[in-house]
Amino acid sequence: MSRILLFLIVNSLFSLASAQNFTLSGYVKDSSSRETIAKAQITITVITKAYTPTELRSTTNGYGFYSITVPQGTHTVIVTAPYYGPITTSLQITNNLEYNFLMAPDVESMGAVTIRTKRNSNVKSLDISTQSINGQTIKKIPAFLGEADVIKSIQLLPGVTTVGEGASGFNVRGGSIDQNLVLMDEAPVFNSAHLFGFFSIFNPDAVKDVELVKGGIPANYGGRLSSTLDVKSKDGNKRSYQANGGVGSIFSRLTLEGPLAKPESKNLLKPRKTPAKSSFMVSGRRSYIDILAKPFLPENLSGSQFYFYDLTAKANYSYKRDNIFISTYIGDDVFKAAGLFGVKWGNSTVTTRWNHVFNKKLFSNFTYYYSRYRYNLEFTNRDVTFNWKSNIVNNSAKVDFNYFLNPKNTMAFGGQATHYRFIPGEAIATSSTLNLKFGLPDRYALENAIYISDDWNANGKFSIRAGIRLSQFIYLGPGKVYLFNREPGKQGILDSMYSTQKGEIVANYIYPEPRLGFKYQLNGSSSIKGGYNRMVQNLHLISNTAASVPFDVWQPTTNNIKPEIADQIALGYFKNFNGKHEFETSIEGYYKTLQNQVDYIDGASLLLNELLEADLLTGIGRAFGLEAYIKKSSGDLTGWISYTLSRSERKVVGINNDEWYANRFDRLHNLYVVSQYKINEKWECAANFVYSTGTPATFYTGQYTVQGYVVPDAGSNARNNVRNPAYHRLDLSVTYHRKKSKKFESNWVFSCYNVYNRRNPFSIYFATNYKGLGQNEAIRYSVIGSAIPSISYNFKF
Amino acid sequence: MKSFRFNALIHSAIALSSLLFATSCEDVIEVEVINKNPKIVVDAFVNDQRDTQTIKLTRSIGYFDSTGSEPAITNAQVAVVDQSASLPKLFVFQHTSQGKYQFVPNASNGDTFTIGHDYALLVVVGQDTLVSFSTLNPTTHIDSLRLVDVVGNGPPINTTGYYVELMAKDRKGPGDFYWIKTFRNDSFLNKIDQLNVSADMGNTSNGQDGELFIYPIRYNGVNDFLRSYKTGETVRIEIHSINAVAFAWFNLVISENQNGGLFATPPANIFTNIVSLNPNKKTALGGFFCMSAVSSLSVKIP
Repeated sequence: MSRILLFLIVNSLFSLASAQNFTLSGYVKDSSSRETIAKAQITITVITKAYTPTELRSTTNGYGFYSITVPQGTHTVIVTAPYYGPITTSLQITNNLEYNFLMAPDVESMGAVTIRTKRNSNVKSLDISTQSINGQTIKKIPAFLGEADVIKSIQLLPGVTTVGEGASGFNVRGGSIDQNLVLMDEAPVFNSAHLFGFFSIFNPDAVKDVELVKGGIPANYGGRLSSTLDVKSKDGNKRSYQANGGVGSIFSRLTLEGPLAKPESKNLLKPRKTPAKSSFMVSGRRSYIDILAKPFLPENLSGSQFYFYDLTAKANYSYKRDNIFISTYIGDDVFKAAGLFGVKWGNSTVTTRWNHVFNKKLFSNFTYYYSRYRYNLEFTNRDVTFNWKSNIVNNSAKVDFNYFLNPKNTMAFGGQATHYRFIPGEAIATSSTLNLKFGLPDRYALENAIYISDDWNANGKFSIRAGIRLSQFIYLGPGKVYLFNREPGKQGILDSMYSTQKGEIVANYIYPEPRLGFKYQLNGSSSIKGGYNRMVQNLHLISNTAASVPFDVWQPTTNNIKPEIADQIALGYFKNFNGKHEFETSIEGYYKTLQNQVDYIDGASLLLNELLEADLLTGIGRAFGLEAYIKKSSGDLTGWISYTLSRSERKVVGINNDEWYANRFDRLHNLYVVSQYKINEKWECAANFVYSTGTPATFYTGQYTVQGYVVPDAGSNARNNVRNPAYHRLDLSVTYHRKKSKKFESNWVFSCYNVYNRRNPFSIYFATNYKGLGQNEAIRYSVIGSAIPSISYNFKF
Repeated sequence: MKSFRFNALIHSAIALSSLLFATSCEDVIEVEVINKNPKIVVDAFVNDQRDTQTIKLTRSIGYFDSTGSEPAITNAQVAVVDQSASLPKLFVFQHTSQGKYQFVPNASNGDTFTIGHDYALLVVVGQDTLVSFSTLNPTTHIDSLRLVDVVGNGPPINTTGYYVELMAKDRKGPGDFYWIKTFRNDSFLNKIDQLNVSADMGNTSNGQDGELFIYPIRYNGVNDFLRSYKTGETVRIEIHSINAVAFAWFNLVISENQNGGLFATPPANIFTNIVSLNPNKKTALGGFFCMSAVSSLSVKIP
């Protein structure tokens, strides 16, 4: 690996020395709001001495910055980006030049004008197994209760599955939900679900774009096995004040954004001629189901509270070569039945970032973030109040560099250090006579990583992205360390334990994580891409249910829990059809092996269990599949069809007679159809169809009675040996745009979820002595048992 | 115990949220399962009291069969051996009917079970010899049963009337386990959510020791809040000593009985402490053997 890197560096130094070149650099931005655009491609065709045209390419980084070295002369520059109309300009390069490109969103360019420039950015980019969706697209997909949702949209992409409504998160290529690194402005969030998974915590109004990386994961990402979901919030409009909002059946939302500068004119809504140096965005949502439900609640629950809210805020300031961003997210879910119990859970993050352009080729970003996930549980039993809390807190500093060395090489390197504090459970029981504190000792850890990666465009056709990430995880004191005697597949027996001092190193794991991607350009509209990545994960979500229990506990890697490791190879063919209608198509295959996957002994006790590690088993996993995708992004009818054939299995000593068994989220066939049709300026309609093979389940087969109690019996100890029926669902929505005035835009969305009233089983469970009637029954549990219509109203001015 | 209380909590949380949506639904469906290899089931809870002691042998049945239809094993030989006595002493349990094997203790000739002794269970069924071991641990005594007069005004107490508080302390020192059985007019409160087991004074052995049992055990666990005790009724509480393995076994029975809904975990097989001495034949086994000491106290509602 290091040889390849050395070769790349030497090679690039040679090419640097040869030419009379200048550097064109700058940002690519949205023409109206001046939001920066990531992953825009800048292509310049130059005629070399041999009179052969060569394409020079640069891609903007996450902050919209690009840099490209070109020979002196006048060149035609083409800039393309997903969801934006391509632009073509002619630039005369006689010096180093800083130039910002402004792009207009697709919707505006899509009218009568035919787009002549072919996009093909998906085919030409080095990214494999990567999908991005912007805020606009998310909003057009018919959603549960009419509320556009980031995670629910992600679940319609190839390679992504979910256990069903009520399950939080998503499964990527056969990985469990904790194997996705979900980033909100660089800070990780640990629970992406509101209301037990019905909604995700991201407010689509505040989201600029979302990128999901499932394979060939670049070296700058690490820490989770299966994917990275990078959610970027909007920076805030730098030219005019804008308000965005909606009133739905479950919650209302409002987003305000605009420049932070003295207005140019009295009319605040009139766009500024010169964009302000700084801008802000504040966006909030709150549910009001509690207020609506109040009259229907029984009297003894009238003091109940149940709501959730989230708030996203961001401010930025740019000055010459520096950009500073401060962003924060706070969200909570609160459920409280007066006098009985209360639960509260939520994430909060704060991110500060400083971009600095050292020179035309070297871009840097320094990040510091704080992220916390916490929950509280409180219940009252007569005079005793029991209060329990659990937290995971992390502080991280990170630096990333992009070095646009020459047209053939773009390098990325950097490092990160993160300190974690885990509070697995702190409980206090109080009454008039009692004040009892108990709980589990806190745990501490330090995670470090450094990485380097190079995108090398060998010739016009062949490109390689080679990188390596070196990650280190240190399990630190103070705390308690447990040593167990273990027989494979059995509960560990405590051998001894000891306390550690602050800063004492209990366990230290260092892993190199090689990453590789390549692309072979067959022609202008088709390419073959491949990727390999090794990922290491040191945070483990301890949960043996499929549903989102906010009380799931995150555990660090310890002396007993080893880091999870995944190796994945992916290969894909990408082809675009650029006729009257544009189609993007791709087919990708992947194979993944996993090590040190966490499972549980039968009857494991996961909450407030000091010896939790004794109840954990580890095993290996494998996942493989094929993903086909076709997308139409122009014309009145847009949308995509995605089909995934996949398998995800696990083998753990002590479970299923030590043989392979299907994971709880394994689904063989997954077909998603997402479509939008624009009837005219006023009316739009959209439809989704989802079909997935049923998830596997374990059934009881027998029973017996001991001391009058029924003991259900799963017989041969087979795990997940039965399939639940298939999941399928159709959603429809119709949007009515009211007549636009200059200042005010609004629309009504009528939608219906689960149109044909299908009772998709979330699970089939066996109820022993069902309802106390002395008979055992099989119960189909459907989270959504009927069609759900809804109306929402959205506005923008 | 602990986990089932949290489960109950989580269930109420989800019940609340589904109340808001009113969209989730449960319906009973037909599923076919085959109980391929019926287990030999040994139900052997034996105590130091003077009344007739019973061990029951049956075979497991299909999950959807009606309970009570378990085939009885009537041709076995059953005995409990006192291994701590100077000469190992054999207590033979004779078959009476329907798989019940019984033994009547006789204090006059020393045929009783002794606190602190180690016992072995021996069962011969066909070609299988089954064994299990248990120590007869001491139990704790009951100081009093306190009557509490409560106005029921909503959860958790819905009915006005008398309730009982068990005033008993855990034995000093860690490692005591109890099964607390409550009888209303001699009928045992046998619902799964009334199964009341304790590790020392609480739900887990987490260092709480030697004091009154915690509230959920001494109060919630000995009452039915839907049915208060009425004047003239008798309440009897027995504290049976058990051991750590039995405590874990009871907790598994509770959690498997209450497993279900949105947060269902994969069905777990409940272990048994009965083993077969026959190495060749893998006879499937179920059930439990536990020796207990018992203390008890009754109170009549005035």
